[in-house]
Amino acid sequence: MAKLPVTEEELIEKYGPHLNVAPPGGWNAGLDIDREVKTHCCFCGQQCGIKLKVKDEQVVGFEPWYEFPFNQGKLCPKGVKRYLQGAHPDRLLDPLERDPSAEGGFKVTTWDSALDRVVAEIRRIQAEYGNDSFAILSGVSITNEKSYLMGKFARLGVQTANLDYNGRLCMVSAGVANKKALGMDRAPNPWSDIPLADVVFVAGSNVAECSPITTSYIWRARDRGAKLIVADPRVTPLARTADVFLGLKPGTDSALMGTILHVLIENDWLDHDFINAHTVDFDSAAEAVRTYTPEWGSQVCGVPKERIIEAARLWGTSATGMLLHARGIEHHTKGVENVLSCINLGLATGKYGKPGCGVSTITGQGNGQGGREQGHKCDQLPGNRDIANPEHREYIASVWGCDESEIPGKGMSAQEIMDAINDGEIKGLLSICFNPVVSLPDSNHTAEALSRLEFYTAIDFFMSESAQFCDVVLPGTLQEEDEGTTTSVEGRAIKINQAIAPPGNARKDWEIIIDIAERLGRGKYFQFDDTEDIFNEMRVASRGGTADYYGMTWDRIEDEFGIFWPCPEEGHPGTPRLYEGGRFAHSDGKARFHGVAYRDPAEVIDDEYPIWLTTGRVVSQYLSGTQTRRIGPLVEQYPEPLCEMHPRLAAQLGVESGDIVNVSSRRGSMSLPARVVESIRPDTVFIPYHWPGAQAANQLTNRALDPLSKIPEYKVSAVRVEKGDGHRKIYDRRVTTLQEKGQSL
Amino acid sequence: MVIRTGTGGIDVRASIWGLVAVMITLVGVYFGSGSLRWFDAALAGYLIGVLLAVWATVYRYLVWIQRPPTAVLNRRGWESFRSKGKVGRNVGGLVGLVFTNILAQGFIRRRSVARWAAHQLVFWGCILAAAVTFPLTFGWLHFESVGQSGDQYKAYLFGIGTVAFPAESLIGFVMFHTLNIAAFLVIGGVLVFLYRRLRDPGALAVERATDFLPLVGLFAVSITGLFLTASSLWLEGRYYSFLTDLHALTVILGLLYIPFGKLFHIFQRPANLGVHYYRRAGAEGEQQLCRVCEQPWASKMQVDDLKFVLPQVGFDYSDGSGGNWQDTCPRCRRTSIALAQTNRVGGFG
Amino acid sequence: MNPLVQGKMFVIDQSRCIGCEACVQACEECGTHRGQSLIHLEFVDRGVSTQTAPMVCMHCEDPTCANVCPADAIKQNEDGVVQSALKPRCIGCSNCVNACPFGVPKYFALPDQMMKCDMCYDRTSVGLAPMCASVCPSQALWYGTPMDYNETRRGELIHEYRFGNQVVPTKVATVVDDRTFGPIDVMGEPGRDRWQDDPFGLEEMT
Repeated sequence: MAKLPVTEEELIEKYGPHLNVAPPGGWNAGLDIDREVKTHCCFCGQQCGIKLKVKDEQVVGFEPWYEFPFNQGKLCPKGVKRYLQGAHPDRLLDPLERDPSAEGGFKVTTWDSALDRVVAEIRRIQAEYGNDSFAILSGVSITNEKSYLMGKFARLGVQTANLDYNGRLCMVSAGVANKKALGMDRAPNPWSDIPLADVVFVAGSNVAECSPITTSYIWRARDRGAKLIVADPRVTPLARTADVFLGLKPGTDSALMGTILHVLIENDWLDHDFINAHTVDFDSAAEAVRTYTPEWGSQVCGVPKERIIEAARLWGTSATGMLLHARGIEHHTKGVENVLSCINLGLATGKYGKPGCGVSTITGQGNGQGGREQGHKCDQLPGNRDIANPEHREYIASVWGCDESEIPGKGMSAQEIMDAINDGEIKGLLSICFNPVVSLPDSNHTAEALSRLEFYTAIDFFMSESAQFCDVVLPGTLQEEDEGTTTSVEGRAIKINQAIAPPGNARKDWEIIIDIAERLGRGKYFQFDDTEDIFNEMRVASRGGTADYYGMTWDRIEDEFGIFWPCPEEGHPGTPRLYEGGRFAHSDGKARFHGVAYRDPAEVIDDEYPIWLTTGRVVSQYLSGTQTRRIGPLVEQYPEPLCEMHPRLAAQLGVESGDIVNVSSRRGSMSLPARVVESIRPDTVFIPYHWPGAQAANQLTNRALDPLSKIPEYKVSAVRVEKGDGHRKIYDRRVTTLQEKGQSL
Repeated sequence: MVIRTGTGGIDVRASIWGLVAVMITLVGVYFGSGSLRWFDAALAGYLIGVLLAVWATVYRYLVWIQRPPTAVLNRRGWESFRSKGKVGRNVGGLVGLVFTNILAQGFIRRRSVARWAAHQLVFWGCILAAAVTFPLTFGWLHFESVGQSGDQYKAYLFGIGTVAFPAESLIGFVMFHTLNIAAFLVIGGVLVFLYRRLRDPGALAVERATDFLPLVGLFAVSITGLFLTASSLWLEGRYYSFLTDLHALTVILGLLYIPFGKLFHIFQRPANLGVHYYRRAGAEGEQQLCRVCEQPWASKMQVDDLKFVLPQVGFDYSDGSGGNWQDTCPRCRRTSIALAQTNRVGGFG
Repeated sequence: MNPLVQGKMFVIDQSRCIGCEACVQACEECGTHRGQSLIHLEFVDRGVSTQTAPMVCMHCEDPTCANVCPADAIKQNEDGVVQSALKPRCIGCSNCVNACPFGVPKYFALPDQMMKCDMCYDRTSVGLAPMCASVCPSQALWYGTPMDYNETRRGELIHEYRFGNQVVPTKVATVVDDRTFGPIDVMGEPGRDRWQDDPFGLEEMT
């Protein structure tokens, strides 16, 4: 049923992406403003403080917020231009109903009729196929309050088990590994620990482009004399400045970390006291890497063995050290193992629970940390509780005022939901803050699946590529149009302040959700007057869980520039650094080593598909690009995906920079310009994933999942690259366009 | 603000040329006013102001045009204008250039329409005022009443009678109120300028007293002129003589300000026409190749001119072995600097 | 108030730039030149590496641009900040664009004018950091007091460049390991061997 109502061109014509290039009123409109609102950037988990300038109830610009301690005014280009997502011509202002005869494929409708239809379809589908045949997909660019509400709404409002979130595509493997090894899923350190490290090891994280503000922390460490190790198949902008660069083959991360552990053991660069006092199972970790000699590691990873030994020496002999990792090691069928192999390095050298020491994931999404604690994961209840644990269920049922049996059990994960939709097992879908057509792997499969839904509704502020498949589109809120809290990469809960009201007939997301719950006859569970009400229930729900927000209030969060959880009782200062004194969150207080044996990725190169493909982000775009592909200055910076390849590979293919190449995998193929650069391994190509349709890198990627965390393997696919037809001039980003501008001063 | 005159002391040649210009003006006044027959002694103060302004403007102009970069541009501009086979085209293009760049000032409109509108108001207000006051002051223009009733006037230019008109007619109104119209134009423009400046914190930051001075001056001249009219029309001439002196003072100070302040751009701006010809000749001529990337990046003529000018103003960018930093394109200058700096920083790699 | 009075200075350390273009995006948000980005940022050679080169106006003690301006349009404030061309005077000849040893001034065809980095005079004159140095994630662009610098940053500050025979003293500082080697010799600084020349160790591996 849910195929695109009209052609893609007609949808784009009507709903964009169009580009917002200047503030409302234009650049010449002057700078006198009505007020500045202290809040945070909506793009990425760093959650930088920013002041938004408001004039005539529109966001017209920004001012650095120097006092906010995390970024002290610093911003990346996305932060600088985030304000241009407001007053946007593509903004959805009315509820829309699919109508192939209407311009752009949708007709404007009223909230009443839209919500009645949503509720009728939920009822019909659940009556016909069972409660779990209606699924909900949520996201973690929304606030803690909304994340909490989505979890409760799915369980008690819609009464489905099948709720999951797009954090599943983010750092969930790190979360699982942290829980397994340390007993808790949170970055163990405040970022202020990074400058205290004597060695900083960045593994699989393009810090400069995906978490740019972290760069300043790393440089602060280096200004103290710290050494920098970077492991990445590409010489990313930060890697260029590294002391030791490990340009490893995609998918070989655990081999690299295993080899480093081998070298640490070999040279006795270990902290035996720490291992003995605070950990268990060191022997199994050591046994697993017994044969991982530098020669072996060098061969598997494609990295000179001297560099691996040097990295091990720096890590093992430095008194303090931070290992930072991100999607580069987490987006794998071995995501959990990769992270465990990093944690092993931290535990073996005693780098936990003290200043300048820790192994931490750099969460990617806006509320990637907080959103994964409040209970909108398929296996989780608020406070990072386990949905299968009877005690946890009992407690949450008491907070919610329902019977424990009313809370459904564990549901499917995000990719599994999409697969079940494709198999006809799930018939209806409600999504918020999720653009699966662009962000899930194997995007042809995703589009096919969405076309099979009997009913699909999305809450969105722009007509995302997934919303285009909807029967009903509900206009929700941009981050600056509502208030609430998020929890940043550091585990610091911070306050998002409302700058302006939702425009037109758009409504606040939580009001829409509560309205649907009421129409479903479940209103008694959703008696909230405002967002702070939701927060106050949420902090009670989190009480006693690992992610304990109970002691926090909105006022304190604002006054103290954020509070680190756990904050178990009122007056508690919060907990910036975890595991102080080597006390881990497992019941015995000890951390667990894990034996990590290297295994191949789900797909390996062969004669037919002889090149590795890895995917990632560029600094000017955020995730599936629903927002950032509509901001002109950001689009100018990197307008279309380019296929990065090494000159050696390019020479084999007869390709020069700008030549169109055809890249194909077992799932699909795409054509795009090549960018020939020496900054990538000769056996690997890289394509950024922010674009939809024919430009989607995810046409090529693999749906294979990590068995434990269910994270897909975005970072390794086998592809074939051939020279295609045509050539495109590739500019050095904005330089040319800027010089040509000059109309308005 | 540091004013760079480029030379120290008095430029004797320029002062002599200034005096020559003053003499020419005086001769013009003498003959244009029928041997001072039509010269209005009441306007003598204005004449003295004009003469001082003429001397100072010519002096400043000559000093300016002798500065090495200006001298080169002046020479090149004329050379380009006169270059063989291009004279016809260049003369033909001149009309258009004068219209778009000097009169219509499209380059300002492309910055901001409000700024352009303000500038046009001030520009045409001043032109209009000057077109009336200078001939009046010089005795080139005067009015006489004709007929018995005294309600008919005739305008005389260089003593030659032109149109006669009734004082109460539209043409009479316009004739006598030209300066008031000009004053309104100028005040309108000044207010827009002030509004923009005071509202825009960016403009405010780089603004200096010297930027407000011309606006204040133009406003003072215009408003005191309007006071005169108001006094004669509505106050039965009360305060008239005081206002006359006040107005004269503002005008004379204004005239004296021209050569030294922001308004000197009136005389500098036409050099932009020369730039157009220089630029066109440059584009048509040989191109400079970058010594690093070997790509063309500018007119070789202009780069050579700069290499000629730079030593005169105290710079030597040659490397002593035939190379010159000035042969590097701006992009390669920036990247070379980054590479050189990176080479001075260890600690990584 | 001006930067000199507050004792704050601008430091540029190109070596640590990550090329994110936050500065380019923030530059056009500055009040003195809204909508127009005046900072420069480009890849040195993207085919070879990800190294990028940011460049702000170095605010020379004796600015070449002002000296070659035929229209007297480029002025230096008492505090040493070299301003953008005075709009009424600039005749658009591009002498400054072509002569500036740092490649800083930009010529804009439509208004027929040069504009250049003016250290965000609206901000620095009231004690705020310039836009680019405010946002720069790697702090390759830095603004603060010498004491702040000495406490938090490594490397020595130098205010001089050499281009052939010409030594150019600047108000903006840059960073070197050892200033006793003298000005940064742009035309003659010898290169070093670095792992970046063969980032993947292809020579060793094959």
